[in-house]
Amino acid sequence: MTQAGWISGWRKPSVLPGFGPALGTTLAYLSLFVIIPLGAMVLTTFAHGWADFVGAVLQPRVLAAFRVTLLCAFGAAALCALFGLLLAWVLVRYPFPGHRLVDAAVDLPFALPTAVAGIALTSLYAPNGWIGALLAPLGIQVAFTPLGILVALTFVGLPFVVRTVQPVLQDLEREQEEASAILGATRLQTFTRVIMPALAPALLTGFAMALARGLGEYGSVIFIAGNKPMVSEIVPLLIVIELEQFNYAGAAAIGTLMLAVAFVLLFAINRLQRWTRLQHAD
Amino acid sequence: MTAEISIRGVTRRFGAQAALDGVDLDVRPGELLALLGPSGSGKTTLLRIIAGLEWPDSGTVMFGGQDAMERHVRERGVGFVFQHYALFRHMTVFENVAFGLRVRPRAQRLPRAEIARRVHTLLNLVQLDWLADRYPNQLSGGQRQRVALARALAIEPRVLLLDEPFGALDAKVRKELRRWLRSLHENVKVTSVFVTHDQEEALELADRVVVMANGRIEQVGTPAEVYCTPASAFVHEFLGDTNRLECRVEGGRALLADGTPIGRAEDIMGSAIAYVRPHDVTLAPAADGPGIIRHVHAVGPLAQLVVELGGVEIDVAIPADSWARLGAGRGDRVAVTVQAGTLFPQRATRGIPMQPLLPASPILSLVRNNTVYSGRPIHHPE
Amino acid sequence: MRIDVNQPRPAPAAAASAMSRRVVRVTESAPVRWALTAAALGFTFLFLLLPLASVVVQAFAAGLDTYLSALADPDTLSAIRLTVIVALIAVALNVVFGVAAAWCIARFTFRGRNLLVTLIDVPFSVSPVIAGMVQVLLFGLRGWLGPLLQQHDLRVVFALPGIVLATVFVTLPFVARELIPLMEEQGAEEEEAAISLGASGWQTFLRVTLPNLRWGLLYGVLLCNARAMGEFGAVSVVSGHIRGATNTMPLQVEILFNDYQIEAAFAVASLLALLALVTLGAKLLLEWRHASELAATRRR
Repeated sequence: MTQAGWISGWRKPSVLPGFGPALGTTLAYLSLFVIIPLGAMVLTTFAHGWADFVGAVLQPRVLAAFRVTLLCAFGAAALCALFGLLLAWVLVRYPFPGHRLVDAAVDLPFALPTAVAGIALTSLYAPNGWIGALLAPLGIQVAFTPLGILVALTFVGLPFVVRTVQPVLQDLEREQEEASAILGATRLQTFTRVIMPALAPALLTGFAMALARGLGEYGSVIFIAGNKPMVSEIVPLLIVIELEQFNYAGAAAIGTLMLAVAFVLLFAINRLQRWTRLQHAD
Repeated sequence: MTAEISIRGVTRRFGAQAALDGVDLDVRPGELLALLGPSGSGKTTLLRIIAGLEWPDSGTVMFGGQDAMERHVRERGVGFVFQHYALFRHMTVFENVAFGLRVRPRAQRLPRAEIARRVHTLLNLVQLDWLADRYPNQLSGGQRQRVALARALAIEPRVLLLDEPFGALDAKVRKELRRWLRSLHENVKVTSVFVTHDQEEALELADRVVVMANGRIEQVGTPAEVYCTPASAFVHEFLGDTNRLECRVEGGRALLADGTPIGRAEDIMGSAIAYVRPHDVTLAPAADGPGIIRHVHAVGPLAQLVVELGGVEIDVAIPADSWARLGAGRGDRVAVTVQAGTLFPQRATRGIPMQPLLPASPILSLVRNNTVYSGRPIHHPE
Repeated sequence: MRIDVNQPRPAPAAAASAMSRRVVRVTESAPVRWALTAAALGFTFLFLLLPLASVVVQAFAAGLDTYLSALADPDTLSAIRLTVIVALIAVALNVVFGVAAAWCIARFTFRGRNLLVTLIDVPFSVSPVIAGMVQVLLFGLRGWLGPLLQQHDLRVVFALPGIVLATVFVTLPFVARELIPLMEEQGAEEEEAAISLGASGWQTFLRVTLPNLRWGLLYGVLLCNARAMGEFGAVSVVSGHIRGATNTMPLQVEILFNDYQIEAAFAVASLLALLALVTLGAKLLLEWRHASELAATRRR
């Protein structure tokens, strides 16, 4: 049977049993929970043709939400890249007391439910909160403005950058830096010409992952955003609002567009990860 | 002649363990010096201290009479070839070699065209100009090695340091590169120090060899000196195959445990260790001789034998034609003559030469010295 | 070419020499190291630990009695019960799926394998709100199957099935993504040996494969459970927010917070934060005790 399988062209023979049932279970499960539901969304979107899709997406409120979401997600991913690189660098390179605590704390945004992160950040950055009260005299308001969205998205995106950069930095040969110093490079030259090019693929991967997460994030944002239409309303919230008004086609249209953006990012991340592996293969 | 590099009392500890323990060493201008020792002997640490990649706990390193420790690694002007080359993998071969020229402060930086010319000259020197646009992961091990060398030479170093330069290569490429490096050194004449654990490599390549063990220098000398007159038991054991025989010295003769004499030695008494190289033993036909041939491996130019003598087994290597003329086989008895050896009395650090029971002819010892120098012992036919 | 070894070199900068005696390896100068470490510590404290601290402080701001009575509220208790039920179902389903997917992906080479791996990752890159919305589009009152369900008086959306479906969607990759790299790293040799010794497929799986996977599986279950219990966006869309019936703990937090019952909201949140801490602790313990077995999953 296995021989015939490979000759028919799609499976390499193996002595291990159970391929059929395992693949069947996997495909059925994926279809039931992911493919059919997402397909239903795309079908709903285009049930009445392109015109409805374009009409639903080109509304000013939708466009404004996409603008806010994209800007904040990009800004947050950039902040994640900056602080993520700092954290990964310090964690890998410098010994200091509390090292393990900091390393564990990096995973906190992964583990903490988004609603909890949302209300905690909101109460911290509200004008009467611990941090908000310090910023208020400076005329800076974070909570209930797009700045709040930026803070929340940076919080949830940070571990992606740290956890992709950290292992690459760990595996970076110290000898490359020593070679650079011996050849006369200053530490800054070594950093920009030797270390950064080696870290770039991982850093970009982390950036793209934080961006993807930021675009879809809901729980941590809605508490702190203030949700003012046209100003601080994010795309996922708009979907919820459309659904509450039983505008299924409108919600599905927005969702389909988000899905397309997510797929583009997924593709980019896959490419970046392949690049990372190539850079570090010998 | 002042030393190019002068090292005095260098000590380096890692925790409680001393990686280097009061090392003194002079490197002469233009020479090719080998640091030879087993792993953990401190040779790589010493090389990294010369480069400025490690710092000694005490002691000094002088370059041409100036204190090198005042200088940061990037100002020392050393070329360093790393064991695994440490090529920058995101740069082409050309960019790798040009790196040291491009990172100079603006005031000292050469014009672009001059940098390109220099890089191509160097790539021609290492016969890799045709690979200038490749990336390191597209090169073979030997090619990477030569790129690393060109990169190190690009900054016109006053000394070139190489850490196990052939360690990561397979045996065939290693031999070729060794010859090539020797001729390159004769062309370029830059003072060079390389680390190796391979005694054959050190003896073939270096002008002088520094044998190290446990963070100390055991002996410094030409390959012939360290091979023929090892200063310590360690050097004798580390350089080349050897038999280690426990014996006692009585009345000017060295005797094995059961009283079988193996050589003459003046001025000492009591128990000692005799080191005898397999090719320093000769055999002669004798039906009542003290040796019994226990094992024969006679393929190639040398016959490798195990001979039982006075209750111990001794490795013996004799030329294939001598073996043929001997006409003996496994289990046969033979007469055994130890032509040369070194005796180390207990608790002595210096060895005492052991003479044959019958004086060796002067011609024989001259031939032996010559063959040793080439690193390929060939035995004088009896 | 000849390199002149005696060529004079530029004198070392005087300023660098005083410092360099202390330099042991090629690295940044001490002030730079201290500044970067301080910045990283400050950032960790302000940005990562302070939110956690604020949850605890605000939960207990009105005293222990208020805290306990907030948790004893019937709606909160029902939310806790619902959360546990949903998580149990979702984790169990995803374990079955994860093992099946890992078996065919890590043990067989077939056309479309890479596509399958990518499909498993899809839920990670889709907004949780979409995960909830697709259930509404399928099973909602005006959804594709809505009328059919209504005829048979079945409820999916605004009821337990919808919440489970949405939760399964967002947590689907967790177990599979831990097991696939682990099984790939371990290789098929042990299973092939078992088969060659006469074991049946099931015997091989139960006696060879599963024991080798146990720590990776536990790791995946841990992460899957944390996400299932904490999921907000997806569940929020399908739950309908019916107090005491379809509210999970995160939704209960939202409702209390929006009702200005701040202490009660943080009291429930503190339970979820505790869950996060326990998960992190167990994860660290697993990574520490079974580092070699989990190396593959953490390296991906």
